[in-house]
Amino acid sequence: MVSPIHIITIGLGLAFALGLLQGFGKNFSGILMLLGVAAMGFISFQWLVAFFTSGSTSEIFTAGFKPPYSINLMMGKHEAVLASMVNLVGLLGGIYLWDTLKKQGFHAMLVYLVFIMGMNIMIMTRDAFNLFVFMEVVSIATAGLVILEQNNKSVQAGFKYMIATSVIAGLFLMGIIFSYYFAATLNIDGLANANLLAIKGGSLAIFLVLISIILELKPFPANGWALDVYHAATPGVSALISAASATAMYFVFYKVLGIVGDSWSQVIAAIGLLTFVGSNLLGTKQDNPNRLLGYSSIGQMGLLMAILGFRPFLGEKLEFIAFTILLTHYLAKAGLFWLAGIIKSENLKGFAALRKKPFMLFLFGTFVFALIGFPPFPSFFGKWELVMHLANGHMYGWMFAVLLGSFFEGIYLFRWLGYSIKIDHLALPDFKVDWNKIIPVGIFAIGLYVAGYFTSGFAEGGTAINFIPLFFVAFLLMIDFLPIIIKNTISIAAIAWYSFSILPPLYEHDMLRFIFAGIFLIGGGLTLIAGYAYKGKRPGFYPVALLMYVGLAQIIEAQNMLHFFFGWEIMTAGSYFLIIRGKRSMPHGLSYMLFSIGGAYALLAGFGMAHAGQASLSLDVLANVSQNVSWIFGLLAVGFLTKTASLGLHIWLPGAHGEAESDVSPMVSAILLKAGVFGLVILMIAMGHHPEAANIAYILGWLGALTALAGNLGATFQEDAKRLLAYSSIAQLGYILFALSIMTHLGWLTAFTYSINHFMYKAILFLTIGAVVLRVGTHNMYEMGGLIKRMPFAFIAVLIGIIALSGVPPLSGFAGKWLFYNAVIDKGWYFQGAIVFFSGTIAFLYLFKLIYSVFLGQLKDNHRQVKEISVWFIIPIYVLIIGIMIFSAKPQWVLQPLGEMITSWYPNGGLQWDGGLATSALGYWNGSGIMISIVIMFALLLSWLLVMSRKAQKVEQFNIVYSAERPFRPETTHVSYNIYAGYNKALGFLVTPVIAAFWDSMDNLVHSVAGFFRKIYSGNGQVYVAHVVLFVVVVYFFAIA
Amino acid sequence: MEYISIIVGLLLIIFGLWGVLTQKNILKIIIGFSLFDTGLHVVMVSISYVKGRTAPILDDTVSIADAAKKIVDPIPQALVLTAIVIGLGVTALMLAYAMKMYKQKGTLDISGYKELNG
Repeated sequence: MVSPIHIITIGLGLAFALGLLQGFGKNFSGILMLLGVAAMGFISFQWLVAFFTSGSTSEIFTAGFKPPYSINLMMGKHEAVLASMVNLVGLLGGIYLWDTLKKQGFHAMLVYLVFIMGMNIMIMTRDAFNLFVFMEVVSIATAGLVILEQNNKSVQAGFKYMIATSVIAGLFLMGIIFSYYFAATLNIDGLANANLLAIKGGSLAIFLVLISIILELKPFPANGWALDVYHAATPGVSALISAASATAMYFVFYKVLGIVGDSWSQVIAAIGLLTFVGSNLLGTKQDNPNRLLGYSSIGQMGLLMAILGFRPFLGEKLEFIAFTILLTHYLAKAGLFWLAGIIKSENLKGFAALRKKPFMLFLFGTFVFALIGFPPFPSFFGKWELVMHLANGHMYGWMFAVLLGSFFEGIYLFRWLGYSIKIDHLALPDFKVDWNKIIPVGIFAIGLYVAGYFTSGFAEGGTAINFIPLFFVAFLLMIDFLPIIIKNTISIAAIAWYSFSILPPLYEHDMLRFIFAGIFLIGGGLTLIAGYAYKGKRPGFYPVALLMYVGLAQIIEAQNMLHFFFGWEIMTAGSYFLIIRGKRSMPHGLSYMLFSIGGAYALLAGFGMAHAGQASLSLDVLANVSQNVSWIFGLLAVGFLTKTASLGLHIWLPGAHGEAESDVSPMVSAILLKAGVFGLVILMIAMGHHPEAANIAYILGWLGALTALAGNLGATFQEDAKRLLAYSSIAQLGYILFALSIMTHLGWLTAFTYSINHFMYKAILFLTIGAVVLRVGTHNMYEMGGLIKRMPFAFIAVLIGIIALSGVPPLSGFAGKWLFYNAVIDKGWYFQGAIVFFSGTIAFLYLFKLIYSVFLGQLKDNHRQVKEISVWFIIPIYVLIIGIMIFSAKPQWVLQPLGEMITSWYPNGGLQWDGGLATSALGYWNGSGIMISIVIMFALLLSWLLVMSRKAQKVEQFNIVYSAERPFRPETTHVSYNIYAGYNKALGFLVTPVIAAFWDSMDNLVHSVAGFFRKIYSGNGQVYVAHVVLFVVVVYFFAIA
Repeated sequence: MEYISIIVGLLLIIFGLWGVLTQKNILKIIIGFSLFDTGLHVVMVSISYVKGRTAPILDDTVSIADAAKKIVDPIPQALVLTAIVIGLGVTALMLAYAMKMYKQKGTLDISGYKELNG
């Protein structure tokens, strides 16, 4: 075992050697420097291994004396982990900066070496004055590295940094010297034992020590000097400052907190949260990648600071939470800075160039998702535990602040990711990718996945998570270069295999999950079949599509809240990438993501509050919650309603579904929305145990009714066929919400019937219209017409789809309507019921428009040669039609088991079944009978019409001579643009986009507040020093004294 | 009387900080920092002083045996040496920066260097 003291000997020795040996050339010096950093890394890593294998630690007493007579260094678990982290990023960062360092020569390498060594000692030392010395060493080295690439900006930033950190260091020194005066020791453990807080003057001394370390962590708003450094330094150096220096300084803070204890926890938590929220808020106004990353770094350090302030509530999970978030920040932030250094764009939009290199885009996406705290990354588990513990300690205000800061972070990170994936940036800047620059980025990205996998087991309930499907997604990513036919077949086979392994047992034990698993998996397999219609490789489609299905499957499998939330977030990530694939989907992808994150945080808060005071993490505890019942159910409802796009939270849906690719729309509409329904069912099962939750159900009922009305009205005035269907989905989900909120046996039977029906007919309609769009090349219905002759199969499919959707006999939609009226009358919600009924009649308007404008009337000139929709679409469409037919003819096959299932929650008020005859308290209905009679009537009428019209004269399409016109060129008389102008005059005011305007104004508010506060960063270095001094004074007088 | 040096030190710190915060000229700011730093050093030495004792040097007048009773606390005096060295390094680096900034724009007014902001 090599003693940790040799980190110093190697660092200093090589620094001198570099000067002596410069004659051997810059390559030699560079390799020597890297070897030096590697050797430091080896020493720290060796102690890391030693700790985890034998628990051994090392304590070094310089000069052979024990403290307080000497400086002592410690190499324990924490030190070994953090020093290894610093040395790893030091080594990779050195490789990354190879060319720059070589250009500057051995002076720069020397500074680099001392920089890394200094951080090692900051981590290891247990002596306060020694800490000061090496903080200064690192600070001077940093100031040197900032001008590694000299330009106007970096020189200014470096000076501001110097002046601010020198004042901070002066305060620190003063604190140390007075601490020594009162405690007669400089040893950190000795200072901790001296109980300085109890001594008059001692508390001021220790305050100075603590506040200067806090200032070194760059608290908002006294951090302008740090932002400029992140902005102006070459990104390779910013990566080190963000990943290595921040890691070392964070541990220094942790050590110093050992002296203070928990006395100032509240203040630290407040400063940390202010920094987290403030920095991320201001981040939303940034457009320079480096500066944005600076804001994000500072925000993350604020969160980490707050975590130490939360210490009294985090118990033994403190280390886990702090470490997972620190590790994620370390890996992701270094990776992002390094990427920024490769692309060299002054603007976030320049990251669009990543599109040329899909692998790098993948790395970028990995870092963004990791920073936000998505699974499977370590920060996901850290944030989960953090929220659970804060809620458990009833620190709800802090919990919401953490979530708010994370949300702001999501705004700018996902806007940035959206730019890189989709923005129209005609001149994509060229960039060169050197192996020495991309390998460190790749290693850190892989590190995030590996770390996420291993941290999952340490979170409570994390061992339940099934990672195998995620490995399959990773496999799909690796074979992304193969043609569609192979990837599609593998994907369908995987879903089929998974279905066969999961559906039969679910059918036996858990009908509820069986239904939703059926929708997710069978729907998934069927919609994937349409993928065969595409040509080429369709890069990136299969990993993200399967990612969404994996998430959906995890929601089904989940028995505990962590697992459920894990699946929920995986599903969100997959669907985001699916949605943003559409041609014009960049803004819709962003709004989908922001609503999803907001909803997910509502869920997280709700789960946290539900878990508070309960021993179990099982989803069943939702039924046993005893305090904050309205808050818990309200938050969970909001979370799920963002996914079902209920009124107020719906504005993301029309664009997201309307602009998605042809086979993606049915996936995200017919299938994905049901995840929200599944969540609502879970929630309402729990609400059923709480009589006081009836109020929430009542509100949700109204919300459902109004959503149905607004969705249908919205659909009526659409000219875009896919947006029409998207609005229709909003309305249909409104029906389902309404029916669930009734909270009776029949209400739920209605809701499940609607869910299954909506899955089938919306998949049929979206698949068909999507396939038509692929053929005719437009979404606008007024640009279509008369396609019945060219696409009879598509016409029949849409006809069946709209009959089922409109709820007229004989198809299964009627079953839903019949049940619905029974449920409403039974419950007595007449007014709401009337609104839903009214919106049902509006549905006829847009359904007619859909089939009339697209398929009837006159064929457009440019569609004369258009072909029938692709057979790969016809197959899943007609399988679903068969499904609808079976459900329509034999509804009892589905409704009877559903009824039995619902009996376990609502034993009374179900249907009585006698073969195919269902009897409720209000009447009876026979699905098969209706089907037979309607078919007979239809056949009779059809033959009558055929007989009567056999003498009718056939006319050509443009034979409008009977109108006394003699056209010289073909003219269509087909009217479909603004077909409901009259209704629009009467009811158009109801579809004024007030809700979209509300969210727009929220967006403006956030950005203008951010724009206002960013003015405090005037750019004047002197002002930044004043911020620092003021910060100290304000914290002292308002918080401590 | 023994408090004079510590008061002087604290005054120097305050004057120095005042200079850093109010002077527009970068060189004056650096001088302000130097005053601030020097004040710190004076305070460090002052707090080790114990009334009626002598310098911590072992010679004919102070033997090892009664050193603990006769000399002032030697540790801050040792520390201050390190602090002075660090202060020197920091000041030198600041001056180097000042030079570079002057070369860039030909002015030493700190408010002229605000390209990075917001």
